[in-house]
Amino acid sequence: MRLRFRLVAALATWFVFAIQTTARAETPDAALTGLLDAARSAASVPGTCAQPDLDRLVRIFCDGKIRVGVREYYPLFGTRDGQTRSGYDVDVARAVAGRLGVEPAFTRVNAASRIPLLADDKIDLTIATMGHNAQRDGQVRFVRPHYYQSESTIVGSKALPIRGWPDVAGRTICVTIGNGSNAQIVSHNARLMLFDEAGVLPDRLKDETCALAAQDDSFFADYFTQPDFAARFDQKFGFAQVPWGMAVALTGSDRLARALDFMSQIFHRDGVFLAIAKENHVGTGFLERQQQVWSRPGCNTDAGSGNPACVLPALDTALEPTPFAGRVAAFEAWVKAHAGIALQLPMFETMPAWQLFKAGIANSLVLVAGALGATFVFSLILGATQSSRSFMIRWPSRGLTVALQSSPVVLTLVIAAAVAQAIFAYSSTVAIGAAIVALGLMNGSNAGQAIAEAMQTLRAERGSASIPTLDLLGRAVSRSATQIVSFLINAAKGTPIASFIGAPELLSALTDITSFASGRVSTYSLLLVFYVAVVIVVVWLCGRLRDALERRQAVP
Amino acid sequence: MTLRIPDDFVPQLLAGMALNFQIAAVALLVGLALGGLLGLARLSGGFLGGCATSLIGLMRAAPTFVVMFFLLNIIPPNATLLGVNVAPSGFMTVALSLVPYSASYVADNGAEALKQMRAGSPLGALLFLPNVTRAFFVLVMSSSAGAAIGVTEGIAVILREAEQMPALGDKLVLFAIGILAFGIALQAGFALVRALQRHLGRLALRDRQG
Repeated sequence: MRLRFRLVAALATWFVFAIQTTARAETPDAALTGLLDAARSAASVPGTCAQPDLDRLVRIFCDGKIRVGVREYYPLFGTRDGQTRSGYDVDVARAVAGRLGVEPAFTRVNAASRIPLLADDKIDLTIATMGHNAQRDGQVRFVRPHYYQSESTIVGSKALPIRGWPDVAGRTICVTIGNGSNAQIVSHNARLMLFDEAGVLPDRLKDETCALAAQDDSFFADYFTQPDFAARFDQKFGFAQVPWGMAVALTGSDRLARALDFMSQIFHRDGVFLAIAKENHVGTGFLERQQQVWSRPGCNTDAGSGNPACVLPALDTALEPTPFAGRVAAFEAWVKAHAGIALQLPMFETMPAWQLFKAGIANSLVLVAGALGATFVFSLILGATQSSRSFMIRWPSRGLTVALQSSPVVLTLVIAAAVAQAIFAYSSTVAIGAAIVALGLMNGSNAGQAIAEAMQTLRAERGSASIPTLDLLGRAVSRSATQIVSFLINAAKGTPIASFIGAPELLSALTDITSFASGRVSTYSLLLVFYVAVVIVVVWLCGRLRDALERRQAVP
Repeated sequence: MTLRIPDDFVPQLLAGMALNFQIAAVALLVGLALGGLLGLARLSGGFLGGCATSLIGLMRAAPTFVVMFFLLNIIPPNATLLGVNVAPSGFMTVALSLVPYSASYVADNGAEALKQMRAGSPLGALLFLPNVTRAFFVLVMSSSAGAAIGVTEGIAVILREAEQMPALGDKLVLFAIGILAFGIALQAGFALVRALQRHLGRLALRDRQG
């Protein structure tokens, strides 16, 4: 009986212990406490701290400090004024160190150094505005859940009625080169104006060089704390959300990463991140949503950070490679090895770039052919109307010619695009069509004037009454062949300007490609070669046309 | 339709147009120097002349807009030469993009002027002046390409204002103001060219009579 009682008592004790243990393991708090206690115990064993390849969590307790990489020139997130550091990332680092019971030791990092410094064991943790994408998963271990989320935002004058993607089609948006969200902007038919540094975008908005600018919302957050900026501009809409992650080194940081996972869960659930964000005046929408997520029983467990229903996935920014990307890379390497030239051909390396490139070439050729055809047709029409005996036909035609001659090419294109967009919904085809009409009118008006002048001379020489009008026009065209040809060449040379109104020709396509890929020098050199070659071909063809017209003139 | 144009629009437009003239002046000056050298090299014949002819042909075929983006993208913003920052500003990028046109134009017309001079017709050679003046006004109009890279020349000022106008009618009125402003400048320029040509013609006549 006593034995049975002791067995039951032992089983009950084990059961209670098991329940307590299980319950403790199910909360991130308990799991974190267990992990930290074990690491502290390990650090307190004599000789442990002197061991090489020490686990980083144990070493943090050995050193009594955690080395954190933070930014120094990222307003609201990581700034430094003398010895005083401030910002959301900095305060998160302090909260992490406080929870560990150690001191934070800050190291300055930037976008280029934040990952190498972890790999080189110069820092234990980076909290430096780093977006978590799938490519970086192979370089560092990201702490889950993410401690912040940014998104690209479109900022512009409050007067501009922009609410979503349909409103930006055909508009120019100022962006920085290499920004991952550029490809998305391009796909919505917006034009890009590229800048090297994000820092110039607010100034370009203020001086009205840019009507709209797209950049990370965390970048603009600081500017919106300035009353004059906030009074003039607002955020139109956001897109391309990127979760930000604290990160540790891939090796030797397993327990540290796990501890930070738990800590991040707790910080979300208890509103620690939220409070820090409010103190630093950064956006809190994401953190408020995350607080709800991590308060849910299903997520508030020690396995929550691995639960896909709770954590956000890494952003997958990889672009699909072309079938021949390997050969292109091999060719680039060969050129580098044999000629020492760092040739980069991004248009052949990824499918989005390749599609843009092919479409750009096709559209450029269509544009050149269209501009040549339109120039010739308009020159005949305007040449004939300017030579008309009717005042009602002749003077409007002359007035139109003077207006077209007085309008700079960019303005004429914009007018054509504005009229086209008032009639048709914006599309690439409409932009190309508008450009063809504008280039045709501009050059055709000049060529038409030459035809009209030739008509006058023919009438003076031969007496117009005896010559049928169409025949006279034909002879005038032959006589003004040199002028017509020179304006045809001019039309072909002017086609790249069509990119200004959103026609997706090669310049536009390559600008889009370089906005999300590298290799600007190679790309724009290729562009120059392409257009010079096209113009040379047009010059040759026009030379043959001129010969044909002049031979025709020679026929009595 | 109630078109509201800000009070500072006209001063800004005039300041922008002044920039167009400055860009054209720089492009023409560089073009005169480069085109003059290329023209002389071409006349010298031989290998050097062949190279100059090829180069002039390529410059003639190079679209200004493409050259502008080429320059903008191949010169790093922090490019230095002997410790001096040589990265061109937006203004200089537009001006330099016009140089292939101006240099090839100067080379072609300069060569023609030299031929006239050698043929004993100094007045024929002087036709170079109205031709260069005409090229200058073509450059003024072409410098509007600067609007594409954020240079606040005349057209950029107009487009910036038009961006704030929702109605097509308002925009067209604004564009008409732009055409008028550039048209007056252009027609004045061409009047100057015609006056120069008439003056040279009178000189030629007097020379012949004398």
